[in-house]
Amino acid sequence: MIDRLRADARILPVIAVIVALCGVLFHGDATFVQAATYAAMWAIAAIGLSLLLGNVNQISLGQAGFFAIGAYAVAYCMDDTSLPFWLGAIVGIALASLVGIALGFIALRFRGHYLAMATLAFGLIVQGLFHQTAALGGASGFTDLPIAKFGPLGLSGSVGYAFAWLAALLVGALSLNLLRGRTGTAFETIRNDELAAEVIGVPTRRYKIVAFAYAGALAGAAGAIYAPLVGVVVPDALGVILSINFLLMVVLGGAGGVSGAIVGAIAIGFLDVAGHQFENWREVAYGLLVIAIVVVAPGGLIGLLRRPRRRAAPARSSAGRALTEPSRPAEPRAVASPAAIPLELRGVTKRFGGLVAVDDVSFALAPGTLTSLIGPNGAGKTTLFNAICGIGRLSAGTIRVGGITVTGWQPHRIATLGVGRTFQNARLFGEMTVLENVVAGAFRIERTGFASDLLGLPAAARARRDAIERGRETLARLGLEHVAGTYAKELAFGDRRRVELARAIAAEPWLLLLDEPAAGLNAQERETLQRDLLALRDRGVTLLLIEHDMRLVMAISERVTVLDFGRTIADGAPGAVRSDPHVVAAYLGTAS
Amino acid sequence: MLQLIVAGLTVGSGYALVALGLHIILRATRVMNFAQGEFTVIGGLIALTLMQTFHATSLLALIGATLCGFVLGLAFERFVLRPAGRAGEMGVTIATVGTVFVLLYGHALVPDWGSLPQPLPAFTGSVSDAFVVGGVTIQIQSLWIFVLLLVALAALYAFFECTYYGKAIRAAANNPLGARLVGIDVTAARAVSVGLAIALAAYGGTILGPITLVGGAGGVAIAIKGFVGAIVGGLDSPVGCVVGGLLVGIVEKLLQSLLGASSADPAVYSLLLLMLLVRPQGLFGARGALRD
Repeated sequence: MIDRLRADARILPVIAVIVALCGVLFHGDATFVQAATYAAMWAIAAIGLSLLLGNVNQISLGQAGFFAIGAYAVAYCMDDTSLPFWLGAIVGIALASLVGIALGFIALRFRGHYLAMATLAFGLIVQGLFHQTAALGGASGFTDLPIAKFGPLGLSGSVGYAFAWLAALLVGALSLNLLRGRTGTAFETIRNDELAAEVIGVPTRRYKIVAFAYAGALAGAAGAIYAPLVGVVVPDALGVILSINFLLMVVLGGAGGVSGAIVGAIAIGFLDVAGHQFENWREVAYGLLVIAIVVVAPGGLIGLLRRPRRRAAPARSSAGRALTEPSRPAEPRAVASPAAIPLELRGVTKRFGGLVAVDDVSFALAPGTLTSLIGPNGAGKTTLFNAICGIGRLSAGTIRVGGITVTGWQPHRIATLGVGRTFQNARLFGEMTVLENVVAGAFRIERTGFASDLLGLPAAARARRDAIERGRETLARLGLEHVAGTYAKELAFGDRRRVELARAIAAEPWLLLLDEPAAGLNAQERETLQRDLLALRDRGVTLLLIEHDMRLVMAISERVTVLDFGRTIADGAPGAVRSDPHVVAAYLGTAS
Repeated sequence: MLQLIVAGLTVGSGYALVALGLHIILRATRVMNFAQGEFTVIGGLIALTLMQTFHATSLLALIGATLCGFVLGLAFERFVLRPAGRAGEMGVTIATVGTVFVLLYGHALVPDWGSLPQPLPAFTGSVSDAFVVGGVTIQIQSLWIFVLLLVALAALYAFFECTYYGKAIRAAANNPLGARLVGIDVTAARAVSVGLAIALAAYGGTILGPITLVGGAGGVAIAIKGFVGAIVGGLDSPVGCVVGGLLVGIVEKLLQSLLGASSADPAVYSLLLLMLLVRPQGLFGARGALRD
């Protein structure tokens, strides 16, 4: 992600210079000005879709619907009521954002091709509504709109070109701000692994809606510029084909980030004009181009431009260092009372159909202790972890975290209380670097919002620098600096686990759930892990561990809870549990 | 009312075949084929050419269009779905959207096909031939459509339930790895599934052709209405797809008479959103079945 953003930040000024140069050189060339003006409008809408598709991994085949909303708002203001252009534009963009929020809510229910179909239907519904509304011109829409006035300037020809491109570059810069900020991190975690994103405290549903609203707003803005510059708004031009065209631009240029969308929009803007006399052939070529890009160059044109990343040398982890530096104290945040019990389960039961995976489990953890949860495979340990984290609904029982009842909460809310977790199969964000993973881990304690990210306010920039600084500190504490720039998917197995631990502790949790942290580690790595866990405990973190490595469990746990077939069969000090006949029977079977 | 239902069942037969095609492709390849409607259009046009240029009878044109559909389907699988499959679900979805462009604008380039809808000759007599039962006028062509829909469904049922190849294809769709382990050529099974689905689309385009016309830019609308049918009935249930498609046809005709011809389509699409939100598994689908 960092590579893409860096490339974007470099390419955007280059595009700005080219646009300015071409504006001066070709200002007399009506064909060029027209094609380039269209390209700017397309670019605005395409950037929105690029973020949606490439950064959040949500598809929309209904962007023309938002475009139409923007275009109609402006056309209505200028034609019927002679209100100024900018008022229509503001109304149009606001409406498009609101409808985007609504579509975002709908989109939460779907994935992949279902989402594509639902958004396609959305676009067609909007188009149909405009088609049917007599007050908006019905099927013939608005024609011969007056030239919009922006102060003394009439928006047409070269002025229109300059205006459209200023808007497009502004949108590009703002979107880049957004992606570099906390919002961009949230988007990227959703694209990589929604569940892991929730568990580190990203409200994934909210951010998906934000993405749809933002993409809708940009498409609406593009429509608002389109209406006065083209002078004609008819429903037939604002349907599926336009939506697919936006998709085409994004795929052609390269989804994700800003520059790909702009390059794709420029390409289609000029191909549209150049292929004017080859109607139908041109569209067939577009279709073939899309298929070819998907097959041959999924990164799009911009992906071809970018130099292939130098792969970080597979450096060995310096496993000797352990978590010893006393960092700032891990204080429970937003917890009812400071003396509260970190975790308390009462009668927790989870059924899958007829299978009872967790059966009436109750226990409470004392602050600053290390407890191990053990049991044979299929005993319900991971299911219990999921229940504590808010993944899936409980069938019965209550869970209290830090004295607060969290039953029925979404995972990100529970995480925000100060709960960290790792997964049995280390769910890292593969397309993000190790440092980005750890920065994302601190998402819940970073405090900037959408607006300050978008505008790139100094406060947001400072918060970002702090977050990166904190991320580096966390990596240093675990001896992982040498892999900071490596993509998580390229990590060796032992490092993956360690990075996940780093991500989980980046936000200084006071309750940490670790699912088989020692599995697959070599002897030296285990030793380091053991020291790290004890160091965390000594700093006041309450740990709950699922582990199969009995030597580790017996060495570090103050308490051991044994699950078998979803039930607690033993609970107590390690020594007592080890000799408990029920436990022996569960692990080894009984003679009778 | 009954008149509308007959008209709805007629167009609904086409949606049912599209829905069934979507179901087959989805089961076999996990791909939602946005181009399914375009293939319906192309199938009708192939039948038109066979009848006009080669003076084929309706039956021969139907067989010819269906076979051409099968071959097109094999090509579609080999040159679009399979290579794009490496790019993940989003990539294939986008590639089928690209295919929409190729077919939609491509067919307008073919001489005699053009971009405007044209009538296909009726299978017997003329399209206006009809008889009256209890006050309801039924076109002879509608009867052909119902009979030929049943023929296609019976043939598909027999193929998937009673033949070795049909069972192998179902096995490959259910559990590709397991099928491969018992010696089924999963790649071939996928190709044949897509071929069958596209053949079905072409078949539907041909039998509907005399009534709904062939050619033109209606493919996307057909694909979505087929999808609405599949969602209404249940995308994971073949019976549901057929019933859902027929229902969408009826609802469309009812809405057309209530709201006027041009308002009906947005209303049908709203039905899709409503259905997806309220009962995404469809009327016949199992709860919790493939939603993603």
